[in-house]
Amino acid sequence: MIGPISAIMLTLVVGAIITLLTNSTAQARAVAIVSSFIALAISIWMFLTYELNPVTHLAFEEGSANNWISSIGIGYHVGVDGIGLPMVLLATIVCALGTVYSWSESKRPNQFFALVLLMDLTLIGVFVSLDFFMFYVFWELTLLPMFFLIGVWGGPRKDYSAIKFLIYTHIASVIMMLGIFAMYYYNGINTGVYTFDMMTLLHSYPTLPISSFWKNFIFGALMFGFIVKMPSVPFHTWLPDAHVEAPTVGSIILAGVLLKMGGYGLFRVLLPMIPNASPYFIYALALFGLVSIIYSPFAALAQKDIKKLVAFSSIGHMGFISLGVAASVAAGLEGPRILAHTGAMFQMFSHGIITAVLFGSCGVIEHHTHTRIIDDLGGLTKKMPKFAILMVAGFFASLGLPLCSGFVAEFSILGGSFQTLPIFVALAAVTIPFTAGYHLWAVQRTLWGPYNEYLGDIKEIKWYEFATLAIWTILFIVLGIYPQPIFNMMQDTATYFITSGNILPIGGIPI
Amino acid sequence: MDPTLTAITTIDFRMYAHWIVLLPMIGFLLELLIGQYTWRKGGMFANLSIFGSMVISYGCLYNVYVQHLGFWEYSWDWFYPGIVAGFTVDPLSLAMLCMVSFISFLIHIYAIGYMGHDCAKHVYFAETALFTGSMFGLVLANNLLQLFIFWEMVGLCSYLLIGFWWHKPEAAAAGKKAWMSCAVGDCLFLLGIAIMYTIMAKHGVTTEVISFNQIFQHLEVLSSSVVFGIPALTIICILFMCGVLGKSAGFPLHVWIPDAMEGPTTVSALIHAATMVTAGVYLIARAFPIFLAAPHALAVVGFFGAFTALYASTLGLVVNDLKRIFAYSTISQLGYMITILGCGAVIGVAAVALALFHLVAHAFFKALLFLTSGSVLHGTSNTRDIKEMGGLLKGMPWTGWTMLAGALALIAFPFTAGYYSKDRIIEEAYVYATGHGSLGYLPWLFLVLGVILTATYTFRAWYLAMTGEPRSYLAVHPHECDWWMRTPLVILAIFALGLGLFTKGGTLFWHFLEETFVTATNTVSGIYPGIDLHEIATLGGNHLLEHGHAAEISPAVIYLPFFLMVAGLAIATGAYYRNRVDMSKYIKKENPLYQLLWNKYYMDYLFKDILAEKIIMTVFTFWDVLDRYVIDGVVNLMSWITISTGQVSRKIQTGVVQNYATAVIFGVSLLVILVKLLGGV
Repeated sequence: MIGPISAIMLTLVVGAIITLLTNSTAQARAVAIVSSFIALAISIWMFLTYELNPVTHLAFEEGSANNWISSIGIGYHVGVDGIGLPMVLLATIVCALGTVYSWSESKRPNQFFALVLLMDLTLIGVFVSLDFFMFYVFWELTLLPMFFLIGVWGGPRKDYSAIKFLIYTHIASVIMMLGIFAMYYYNGINTGVYTFDMMTLLHSYPTLPISSFWKNFIFGALMFGFIVKMPSVPFHTWLPDAHVEAPTVGSIILAGVLLKMGGYGLFRVLLPMIPNASPYFIYALALFGLVSIIYSPFAALAQKDIKKLVAFSSIGHMGFISLGVAASVAAGLEGPRILAHTGAMFQMFSHGIITAVLFGSCGVIEHHTHTRIIDDLGGLTKKMPKFAILMVAGFFASLGLPLCSGFVAEFSILGGSFQTLPIFVALAAVTIPFTAGYHLWAVQRTLWGPYNEYLGDIKEIKWYEFATLAIWTILFIVLGIYPQPIFNMMQDTATYFITSGNILPIGGIPI
Repeated sequence: MDPTLTAITTIDFRMYAHWIVLLPMIGFLLELLIGQYTWRKGGMFANLSIFGSMVISYGCLYNVYVQHLGFWEYSWDWFYPGIVAGFTVDPLSLAMLCMVSFISFLIHIYAIGYMGHDCAKHVYFAETALFTGSMFGLVLANNLLQLFIFWEMVGLCSYLLIGFWWHKPEAAAAGKKAWMSCAVGDCLFLLGIAIMYTIMAKHGVTTEVISFNQIFQHLEVLSSSVVFGIPALTIICILFMCGVLGKSAGFPLHVWIPDAMEGPTTVSALIHAATMVTAGVYLIARAFPIFLAAPHALAVVGFFGAFTALYASTLGLVVNDLKRIFAYSTISQLGYMITILGCGAVIGVAAVALALFHLVAHAFFKALLFLTSGSVLHGTSNTRDIKEMGGLLKGMPWTGWTMLAGALALIAFPFTAGYYSKDRIIEEAYVYATGHGSLGYLPWLFLVLGVILTATYTFRAWYLAMTGEPRSYLAVHPHECDWWMRTPLVILAIFALGLGLFTKGGTLFWHFLEETFVTATNTVSGIYPGIDLHEIATLGGNHLLEHGHAAEISPAVIYLPFFLMVAGLAIATGAYYRNRVDMSKYIKKENPLYQLLWNKYYMDYLFKDILAEKIIMTVFTFWDVLDRYVIDGVVNLMSWITISTGQVSRKIQTGVVQNYATAVIFGVSLLVILVKLLGGV
């Protein structure tokens, strides 16, 4: 009997293979929708029956260390905790609705839908792996479906963007891999056990007697791998290009889930290693976060393409995650630290849903008006009043409107981080009007004002676009009003991280 | 007694206070989803839900004021321990609730007539229901976070409603401007809440961490906290005040208010009377003990308020748009309310009572003034320039005479609502001044000067619109509004004239409000004892007067506002009714003072043309260059280096074996030499 995690992955593999064998849009999308919704159903079931093992602090654990290629210590070992499970849920929600959203995809539909399913699979693989080898393999595999989605179904500069995306993030991954190897090696010579098992390695790592150079190298290499994926300024330039050229569902998955791999890496891998790292890395992490937060609104304001504007908004929102994580591991009271930590985790889920609506809206605009240049739009409300409601909801959620999930995350991060990083929080807070500014500017130029008659007679939003955007919208509003189901799950894990002694004597001012 | 009536009096409405918020939210959803298929194509759910909220609000008032059931607060845990969703029923929230629900209900009734022909009527009513519901949520909030949440929701609704006619570019721009002005203050307000959360946690508070009553209980320990080298409470209060300046249109964040007139007039009435700008005043009133305990905070509040009061009334003198004149008067009157709260450093909780009474009185007459100007717009095909009106009183007597009632209340004509509320504020500002040296007279002086200007610009508007001869063909045959609109006007006029008399000159109201903070509040699990404001005040270096009154103020000071009002009225009458003065001598381009006022002291120019369009545009253009050519440039440079290296090294692959052999030999020799040099193996 296989566990639910393996069942999800198996469903998606089988689904992808069958999808590839179909030969029409209707067949391909039927198979893709069925298999991705089965995956979604399983992950919802996991969410409802979630119960942590008090010893390992994991749930739905399957396999064990070194059971696959035991000679070099590789195993099929999967499981989730309070951050892994919401990420799996996010991936299945976004990908399942993403397949519905691409209802009318007609260019090589079998390959397209198969790639979406593979995307889903590889992302889930990253979020459930408890073995560094598997983790790295899935981490790299996520690049391939996205590379093809951009390279085949992308816009005019698809080749440049696809290659840039692949090489840029691949280089970061390779550096991350060097860090993993170094950790593997030093653990081996010190303990005599050569294993890639994540739990074993991370457990022994804080006590390993290694030179400060290698200590910093390992930490720095992993952190680099993660923050490029998030992405953090100044390693962000692959993102806007990839988004602009990617097909809509590619963008939705890219921003909604793929970026979360970086954040997930921070929580899963980097945090347990902190006791053996230089505090300067934590300052650096906070600084990367803050720079991203300040950078993104200004860069977004300069954009003419609405999709690129939305891409830059992601960078800022991901910056909040780095900031929250950094603040939560500095010395201070536990209450606010757990709040900041949980807020950062919640931002991962919340941003995934909100950004899906934003990119979905950009997609609708592109499909209906055949342009994404903001100056060419205007007054779309006249022709698409239903769409206007959803787009306004998405943009306001993104600018941090209360009663949407993004606000819960942002408030938690700002409120929890102030005790350890007060200046950072103050600076992050004063950029909020700029964030508001570019969102309102985009909405005003797109939806309000007189209708731009050059766009011709455009049709109201299609039912499948409406349905997917509406479900995401309802989801982020419900989570903004009642975040407990996910927030508390994350809070348990955050409490576990924070109270297990990962404290660094940095930062903090006497209040 | 009638048994049903007895049954109603036994209901404890305080237990249902959350429904005051929830009902309009349900109204919003129903209106948005199915409103257009119902009665008159929208408006039914909004009106019914606001009515329901009103009933519960007055039920709560009955429980507390008549039945003396005590103040009540209850909360549920929200997403994190110590962060709650809670509701508080005390005189402060009740005064606001009863005012907001009543006035919002009247405006909703009026809107049935006013918005009668709008095709998106259900959207309008959905948004106004959400607007009102959010304001209820703000008022009932027992903690800072919830207040902030609804504070932002109110901002959202104002954005949507100001831009309700989205196809007009000015309306869309005005909505954005409103949000942006508020956002500047709101981000600082949020930062203040973050600091408050942190210092409360630092002092070991784990339950209801940012609830007002909990904060009040801990003010003594909090006053020792320091952030960035400044007392934490002062920083927090200044940050809160920045939020207030945005929302309550204080200088310099008031710039959005005149533009907000692009929305439907009913929206202007809602924003100015009930649901938006009063939020800021309410925040200071609600957090008053914190301000009292924070050194210098109330002084800053007082000066900003007084300056705003005078500043805005000078602007009101030159504007020709009927709605904008009233908009500036709102900014000015809010300045009075904020000033008196600042004077709370001397008069204590009486300041809250006075500010709230003026807030309520203002709500009645300002709602009335906006609804009457809405009626004027409605009756003259959207004429808004008072220079194109004239003689409307004949064609629309209901509108004209009720507007007169509102105008009289605004200028504080004796025995109207404004007379009791505003003149008392000026009096207390004088009390404040006597204790604060020569600089302390400044707020009082600003307020007193404001009186004469208020009377002048208000009656300038009324005379020019209502009396004389029609100055454009649209004003020749105005048509009077229908009964949906007329009824609210009459009710509001009665209150604008009579509110002071109904409350025994305001004393009933003041005595009720003065119980806030000093009386205990019951909760489900325990009781928050009342706080001693005199003690709290000493934490912030303030000294309250016993009983909140100075020994004696000379009658000259007390009656000064009255005489100034008469003077202002006389100026307006002379210039615009009897036409004794030729105003065109002064109102011309060459007059630098007129230029200054006409250009609104160049504030819009400063914010829009300089800050937004020059500085920020330059910054983000530069930013884009940085992103494209520097950061991404490095990336592309690296790939270019890689590719060129590859192309160069590809040329080495000649396929000639001799070349390879040479290279191998050369390389091996180099390695050997290197190893030798480094003292290797």
